[in-house]
Amino acid sequence: MDKPIYISALSLVTPLGNTIEQHFDAFENGISGIKIHEKAGFQQTAIPLAKREEITGNRYDTLLREALEKAKNAYPEISGKTAVIVSSTKGNIDLLPGDTFAETASIVHEFFPATDVLIISNACISGVIAINTAADYLFAGKYDQVLVIGIDAVSEFVSYGFQSLFALSNETCKPFDKSRNGTVLGEGCGIVLVSTQKPADFAVLYKGGSSSNDANHISGPSRTGEGLVRSIKKTFRRSGKKASDIDFISAHGTATVFNDEMESIAFGRMNLDQVPLNSMKGYFGHTLGAAGVLEIIMSIVSMEKNTLFPNLGFKETGTSVPLNIIQHIEQKALNTVLKTASGFGGGNASLILQKQS
Amino acid sequence: MKILAHSYVCPKGTFLNGKLVYNTAGEENPLKSAYQQLGAEYPKFYKMDVLSKMAFIGTELLLPFFPKDADLENDLQLIFANSSASQNTDNLFVESYEQLKNPSPSLFVYTLPNIVTGELCIRHKWYGENCFFIEETFNPAHFSEWAQMALNKGNNCCLCAWIEAKTNGEQECFLFLLTDSEKEAYSMELELSTLIKQYRNE
Amino acid sequence: MSDLKENLKAQIIEQLNLEDLTPADIQDDAPLFGDQGLGLDSIDALEFIVLLDSNYGIKISDPNEGKEIFQSVNTLADYISKHQ
Repeated sequence: MDKPIYISALSLVTPLGNTIEQHFDAFENGISGIKIHEKAGFQQTAIPLAKREEITGNRYDTLLREALEKAKNAYPEISGKTAVIVSSTKGNIDLLPGDTFAETASIVHEFFPATDVLIISNACISGVIAINTAADYLFAGKYDQVLVIGIDAVSEFVSYGFQSLFALSNETCKPFDKSRNGTVLGEGCGIVLVSTQKPADFAVLYKGGSSSNDANHISGPSRTGEGLVRSIKKTFRRSGKKASDIDFISAHGTATVFNDEMESIAFGRMNLDQVPLNSMKGYFGHTLGAAGVLEIIMSIVSMEKNTLFPNLGFKETGTSVPLNIIQHIEQKALNTVLKTASGFGGGNASLILQKQS
Repeated sequence: MKILAHSYVCPKGTFLNGKLVYNTAGEENPLKSAYQQLGAEYPKFYKMDVLSKMAFIGTELLLPFFPKDADLENDLQLIFANSSASQNTDNLFVESYEQLKNPSPSLFVYTLPNIVTGELCIRHKWYGENCFFIEETFNPAHFSEWAQMALNKGNNCCLCAWIEAKTNGEQECFLFLLTDSEKEAYSMELELSTLIKQYRNE
Repeated sequence: MSDLKENLKAQIIEQLNLEDLTPADIQDDAPLFGDQGLGLDSIDALEFIVLLDSNYGIKISDPNEGKEIFQSVNTLADYISKHQ
């Protein structure tokens, strides 16, 4: 891990807007993309969703094209060997009963022709794994740059599934709060550039990352946070960092009772419980395969602006290990940031970003 | 890089290192029959989706071939890929809410392709790294790249799979265990493409 | 009541994919969850909610209610006969 690897944000499309500035404004003003949607749930029930209402056609294709268009404008000149890694849990669900990822590569090629397109579908940790994989490719010298696209769209399929698990909130998403009662599904597409060349725009350094499986249950989080602890330890080892180096944690925080409890235990075990932390699910909802990329983009914005954004929806400690949840917007020098994610299949992933000195 | 061992599970039978071990051709429930012939005591098998069932059987057979000195708990990476993600279970889940009017939670939890790697980690207490890729066809060169990247990061070996369960009934699970060696990646890739062809034609 | 219990056992086996069991393997009063009984887990508990709805038209809106109801075939049968 000797050569520097840079990450910069290229585009972000969610219910909060389609520019990074719009997202900064929303985060600064505590605006959430979540609304109650009548009849969106199973048997016409009302459920909260963070849905981009401008979209009328196929949600996945529209999100993907809009974000690619913006990325192409932000980064018109690609030189050197380029790959694109798409991170998504469900792809284009409307292609069922066929292959839900069948058209993804050709849509990417409309904007970035002649790039190698890879797809990672590893539940809610896909985004963090995709960026780790992009860095692995750069370390191996196979590519000069990788565009990582995180995307998932709202669908009946996933809403009904989360309803069947009783995992959805009936109002809004309150990560780590005492009264949290489930997650809220969201949609979005975010694109970052992972590169060995220093980009012209603001970029941070990728210092290392890893994943670890809980080896415990396919849908329930580990009671001990074992997988998350192991992933953070491995990421610390690979990046040469330790708990006391971390200025901010962008946590997963889905706002289900068990997930947030698990994360609090893991952060406690790693002596990270005093580090300022947020979950961004209160703004975006849970965007599944897009979540890691979206949250990394906003972490890069945090680092650029030296701003800690509040954990929207949090009022009162609701985990057995109290964490340092960010409640008010605050200026702070952010040099080293830890990003974590956990998901179905027992997966956990993490990575470390550092400001260029 | 070299192949330590390989297995192949499909409706007509289960193979280990090129040899047929369980003939299930013509069986009404081939995977159940292979599981019973395997004789593993793991009642959870019956609750799994087709991807997990195939990988379960194929992996049990590979266990004796894992490197003895490796820290499998931490340093085994799982690299799986297919073209259809969790298509078979996805369509069953859609049926549960469209036809049966009750979205099934136990089907929903399998509507992600990476659940199969989670099942293997639970079964064998593997806490290492996992990644699931979606690709049009089996590409040995990609597996070789991914495995090399995993070994570069300090992993000791990789359990790889090309694993497909489509709604049209197409099912196969080609598992292979890779580790570092002097052998050139190119010849290993060639061997993989020959092996999968042989298994498919058996 | 005993017919109901026998039907329930068959439905449990079918709904939860317990292909290695027959109705005779499930005792009326044996715990369904935990290591002592059938070893069912949280997803199975949610699947019981589906079973009650699709086979008996009984709706449970809070999974926590299930804890008491899904203890054994006896408690399930009891609940069904009272709520149908």
